[in-house]
Amino acid sequence: MSELINKVSQFFSSGIIDLFIGYKKGRLGEGKPAFFTKPEQLNELIFDENCIVNLAVYLRKPELKKYSKIGVLANFGTLRALLQLAAENQIADGQYLILTVADGKVLEFANLKAIEEYVANNLPKPNPERIAFLKEIESKSREERWEFWTRELASCIRCYACRAACPLCYCEQCLVECNQPQWVGVPPTGMGNLEWHIVRAMHLAGRCIGCGECEAACPMEIPIGFLTQKLNMAIISNFGQVPGTKLEPDYALSTFKVDDKENFIR
Amino acid sequence: MARIGVFVCHCGENISSTVDCAKVAEIASNYPGVVYSIDYKYMCSDPGQNLIKEAIQKHKLTGVVVAACSPRMHEPTFRKATAEAGLNPYLCEMANLREHCSWVHYREDTTTEKAAELVRVLVEKVKHNEELYPIKVPITKTALVIGGGIGGIQAALDIANSGHKVIMVEKNPSIGGKMAQLSETFPTLDCSQCILTPRMVEVAQHPNITLYTYAEIESVDGFIGNFKVTIRQKAKSVDHKACTGCGLCIEKCPIKKIPDEFNAGLGNRAAIYVPFPQAVPNKPVIDRNNCTYFLKGKCGLCKKVCPADAIHYEQEDELIKVDVGAIVAATGFDIKHSDFFPEYGYGKYPDVIDGLQFERLASASGPTLGVLKRPSDGKEPESIVFIACAGSRDPAKGIPYCSKICCMYTAKHAMLFKHKNHHGKATVFYMDIRAGGKMYDEFVRRAIEEDDVNYIRGRVSRIYEKNGKLIVCGVDTLLNSRPVEIEADMVVLATAAIANSDSEELAQKLHISYDPYHFFSEAHPKLRPVETNTAGIMLAGACQAPKDIPDTVSQASGTAAKVVALFSQDELTREPLIAYVNNNTCVGCFLCQSVCPYLAIEKEEIRRRDGTLVKTVAKINPGLCQGCGTCVALCRSKSIDIHGYTNRQIYAEVSALFNRREYAGV
Ligand SMILES: Cc1cc2nc3c(=O)[nH]c(=O)nc-3n(C[C@H](O)[C@H](O)[C@H](O)COP(=O)(O)OP(=O)(O)OC[C@H]3O[C@@H](n4cnc5c(N)ncnc54)[C@H](O)[C@@H]3O)c2cc1C
Ligand code: SF4
Ligand code: SF4
Ligand code: SF4
Ligand code: SF4
Repeated sequence: MSELINKVSQFFSSGIIDLFIGYKKGRLGEGKPAFFTKPEQLNELIFDENCIVNLAVYLRKPELKKYSKIGVLANFGTLRALLQLAAENQIADGQYLILTVADGKVLEFANLKAIEEYVANNLPKPNPERIAFLKEIESKSREERWEFWTRELASCIRCYACRAACPLCYCEQCLVECNQPQWVGVPPTGMGNLEWHIVRAMHLAGRCIGCGECEAACPMEIPIGFLTQKLNMAIISNFGQVPGTKLEPDYALSTFKVDDKENFIR
Repeated sequence: MARIGVFVCHCGENISSTVDCAKVAEIASNYPGVVYSIDYKYMCSDPGQNLIKEAIQKHKLTGVVVAACSPRMHEPTFRKATAEAGLNPYLCEMANLREHCSWVHYREDTTTEKAAELVRVLVEKVKHNEELYPIKVPITKTALVIGGGIGGIQAALDIANSGHKVIMVEKNPSIGGKMAQLSETFPTLDCSQCILTPRMVEVAQHPNITLYTYAEIESVDGFIGNFKVTIRQKAKSVDHKACTGCGLCIEKCPIKKIPDEFNAGLGNRAAIYVPFPQAVPNKPVIDRNNCTYFLKGKCGLCKKVCPADAIHYEQEDELIKVDVGAIVAATGFDIKHSDFFPEYGYGKYPDVIDGLQFERLASASGPTLGVLKRPSDGKEPESIVFIACAGSRDPAKGIPYCSKICCMYTAKHAMLFKHKNHHGKATVFYMDIRAGGKMYDEFVRRAIEEDDVNYIRGRVSRIYEKNGKLIVCGVDTLLNSRPVEIEADMVVLATAAIANSDSEELAQKLHISYDPYHFFSEAHPKLRPVETNTAGIMLAGACQAPKDIPDTVSQASGTAAKVVALFSQDELTREPLIAYVNNNTCVGCFLCQSVCPYLAIEKEEIRRRDGTLVKTVAKINPGLCQGCGTCVALCRSKSIDIHGYTNRQIYAEVSALFNRREYAGV
């Protein structure tokens, strides 16, 4: 850890950064997002497998506008979110100082391209437990699946914690807040909840980087991550587009390829 | 407060026979916001329109709903009437009571009820309509014609003669297209070159036409009236300004055995060449793929002999940028060659040739100077079998369509043969004879009756060689499918006409649609046959579908008229029903950029007064946007809307159907 702390404090002292977003130890041993503005605070800085929060979510918050240069300690999900944000024109090369720790060594990324390479070489296999659960849902009949999801989604209280936690839900005005006209019902009732979750899943299809923050944030423990995961699996297998791995926009829902296998589209 | 007027039309009896129009007007008068409601026999007639105009003024209407036929039919009529009464025309909407109701239902109470509901929907919509104003875009009055066949030539001359500038781009070293290769042409048998070459020369000399030969389209951006085109001028290796066209270089070039494209492979040409004696321009280019200098770095003979010092090996491809207001695609077609037919020997028998090869053999300017000699041994054939529909109308070969020109040119070929060899035996295998057209059937009858061509209705299953003869095996379906075998010295296949191999690529550069066979698609098969779906891009000739010369020329003149009509205005007026972006909510993700089929979405920087960048947002180019709405569906933050079809309007319509009152404004 000392290498990391030394490095970051050097960045502070040489004036390269004026804010560093990392983690410190939480009450239950979890890695808790922490904002360091002075090198003296850095003794609390940690990085381990409990540091799972996706820090990219903070980058587009207006509160950070006053800092001139921000350093981020990125876990794998954060790196992928950064790539997706770059593809969506939300962050620019050189805007942030990005660090990660791999095999106990601190890695500083020269640019976003370097992150793209790192991510390409380290893509993890899908978690077998999640795949097993998805398979289980898939094996149900249509009616059972409908029943499963309406039951699960009925408990949603529309706190939008899932949205707040998602690094890719950065719209300044979310569709659900659009009231002229109000396409999606606001009250947390059956229909409105379904509308909200269909919208959320569709808006993240082909963009979700699978960090799991939405599901982790949900106070009602609704397994909403499976909705986006399932959509993404379909996109990856049909179009070969893996969100959060490319700097260039590569969005299945808006692109058209001349060699599309469906002939009707040509 | 909304003050809406509802005008229910009987459309004679078209609507009133199944819908109780008076009842609809009465129901509508009770809808919130409706202050005036009336029915009338013909709303589109003068008295009908006056009814609307008077009501607008008398009742101070803020919106008009005409419940009548399809807006496709009369929206312009009623919007014009609305404008004449002093109300913005876009505050007038139509409810389609005819196609959507009276024509598809019986006379029943529910039919009238549905009509009333359709009116309710539009009443709710029109409450949210905004005043809109037509968009004006300037027009660059220069046309680009791609392809210098007879289609391109005709279009270019017509446009140029109307006083507008034309830029013609032809990919071959000479203009002329397929017509230059033909010997004589049906249905009059006049010499193709004699009628074509004067026009080729006219193109080259016309003060309004700039000709780029040996050139291709690199890229096309922009929109109707304002296209930005990059032309790739391929290196000719010969400076055409200096070259006098003396031809010494061609004489001296040691590489002389390159199969000649113009003669359909039946003759040879040199590596530096003019495709044919009447070529325009009549100056050579070097075929770098076959020139020893470019392949091995030595030779240089042509440069040595050129008295004008016009040979420039170091010339490079040049990219030329031009601004044009309209584009005519006239890139023509291609044909299948004999190697496409396994049953006819896959091109193995040199005396099984395609139609263009026959044209070259029959042409006075061809490799045999117009004497029909067969390719294998130069013998003059005594018996020729012509096979129509070779590949065409054959779903098994992937070409289900009719190539249209083959019936006619096969009759022509058989005749030409008979005229050259009166005792020769001409046999035609055909499926049907399609000779629709002025003087066309007479032409075919002449071949059969006067020139004694033997027409056999049936397919040819196989051709094989025996003792120096080609044996053609087929059936005669008019004689109980009796098998027939004919001995021939030469076989001519009327092979299917197909799209050029690069037509898909070109269509994509132009953003125009094309059919499954890669012919370019017209905007409407009947009513808009020369336009494409992309405004400002039109079609001429066989690039749209196989066509003969009369059809090509008529279409080219039609296209020219469209271009000239466009150029007759200084500004283009466009319907303002296009997309616009809400800068406040747009987060600049630009995922919408790639979804727009018309590339209408650009980036716009929003800056403070002092110049600091606030954010970058999407911006719709009003010249390009066609109002298709694809981006509206894509944008997650609902930052894009379409004038005339806003989210609020659509929502109001849908809500009206659910009879809810929760939409805004009521
Ligand atoms: C064997 C045969 C016999 C025929 N006999 C007759 C007849 O007797 N009477 C009759 O009326 N019709 C006849 N036709 C039909 C006639 O050839 C066509 O109607 C006519 O050639 C169509 O003209 P076009 O300008 O549309 O196309 P084309 O003649 O094909 O000309 C297209 C031009 O565009 C150029 N081009 C293609 N792609 C590009 C590109 N990407 N960029 C730039 N330039 C490009 C080509 O090089 C060519 O010069 C015959 C056809 C065949 C095959
Ligand atoms: S997993 Fe959830 S939080 Fe993470 S990117 Fe996907 S939707 Fe957003
Ligand atoms: S976090 Fe859970 S409860 Fe809250 S809105 Fe999302 S799904 Fe609903
Ligand atoms: S209009 Fe919508 S999709 Fe387009 S850049 Fe803005 S937010 Fe993204
Ligand atoms: S409405 Fe259609 S044409 Fe216009 S910007 Fe949107 S996607 Fe493009």
